[in-house]
Amino acid sequence: MAYDLFLGCVIPARLPYLEVSSRKIFEKLGIELRDVDGFSCCPDPTGIELIDHETWLTLGARNLSLCDNNGGVVSFCSGCVETLKGVNYFINKDVNAKEQVNKHLKKIGKAYEGKTEVKHFAQVLYENLDKVKKNLEKPLEGFKVAVHYGCHYLRPSEIIKWDDPFEPVTLDEIVKALQAESVDYEQKMECCGNPLEKSDKDLSLQMIDNKLKAIQEAGANCVVVVCPACYQQFEYNQKELNKKNNSEYNIPIFYLSELIALSFGFKPEELGFNFHRIKPSELFESIGFDV
Amino acid sequence: MSVINYEFRNEVLKHNASLSYCYQCSTCSGGCPVALLTEGKYNPRKIIEEAILGLKDKLIESQDPNPWLCSTCQKCVELCPQKVELTEIFTLVKNLCFEEQKFPEAFYSQGKAVFDNGVAIPYSNSIIARRKKLGLPKIKVASVEEIQVLLNETNFDKNILRGTE
Repeated sequence: MAYDLFLGCVIPARLPYLEVSSRKIFEKLGIELRDVDGFSCCPDPTGIELIDHETWLTLGARNLSLCDNNGGVVSFCSGCVETLKGVNYFINKDVNAKEQVNKHLKKIGKAYEGKTEVKHFAQVLYENLDKVKKNLEKPLEGFKVAVHYGCHYLRPSEIIKWDDPFEPVTLDEIVKALQAESVDYEQKMECCGNPLEKSDKDLSLQMIDNKLKAIQEAGANCVVVVCPACYQQFEYNQKELNKKNNSEYNIPIFYLSELIALSFGFKPEELGFNFHRIKPSELFESIGFDV
Repeated sequence: MSVINYEFRNEVLKHNASLSYCYQCSTCSGGCPVALLTEGKYNPRKIIEEAILGLKDKLIESQDPNPWLCSTCQKCVELCPQKVELTEIFTLVKNLCFEEQKFPEAFYSQGKAVFDNGVAIPYSNSIIARRKKLGLPKIKVASVEEIQVLLNETNFDKNILRGTE
């Protein structure tokens, strides 16, 4: 099994330690991820698309044109997945859009037919859940995980075509396969608020505050995410909220790949856990997880 | 008083005919997290209403409600009983706001970064060093010249870089 790897911008250029755990678990599972030269920004479905849809479609199609002959593309980022799936959706739905995009691509000697399959890394993991279970070396006992699906992993379902847009199960099932507990909480399906950072910081903070409050009340001891925008929103804003509201958030945030890597027996040092702002070491100590 | 702009209305309809299916039931606003937090000040139903009526002055010029407060969570589009493609319509509205130079600064910065570097976040020296230390491969991103050929094609530079004039 082999996929082309689409890294995007945020993970490789800002949060490279999340790339480390992601690459390690795929290697361990025997699923090859091929690096491809020459990708641009996906581009951001909460940024560039809102500036100019045609530009977004054209750059996205160019990216996919670079892997047109391979077995499919995998990304570690929900935003990139939404964009690349969205490009396929619009190009296959609207013949004029396809023509227009290809007219642009011709200027750089490229073309895209809209046929490359795109998958979120969590989808590939879910499809290989048996393999994940077989590689389990250290069950994550004591981990009470608040699963945050995030919006773009699921919606618009017409484009994403994966899991249920309001009652998803895939991430919960992966977490449970690691023998961690998935803790239900009231705001589970709410948006983290990250995209609003560009237009209204207060509103963005209010949204993540509400989520963190619900997570704390439900008794979860950590959060798992599958999108670097959600990751930053959860990880970077806890201290700021504490200063602002006298709250006491100190909830470690894990990327799904990090939890899986821990359960496969990788050590925090080799996963770059020291780069986390909220150090997971306190959690490991408090639940007696021997790393 | 608002003025109906038929040309504008037809432009939106031509772009997305699902606009005309809306019967203003407000299911979208009922499920919208931002409408809830702003007590209805941000209101997807109202944006659709203004689009149907062709109220370009409200929608683009005075931005009431402010379309940039959409968190792009895509709940409205899932919930709509009429299958109105709300987020696609909102994207068009925001694209038109950009043409009129009415946008939050952070969007401009992202557009500029992609124009200048091909990526939204250029690789700093410290990140390159950190990647090496973490044992990660070197990343070869798109040629900026090639990206700029495409951005010239879509008039992105004219629309975006206009903001610095």
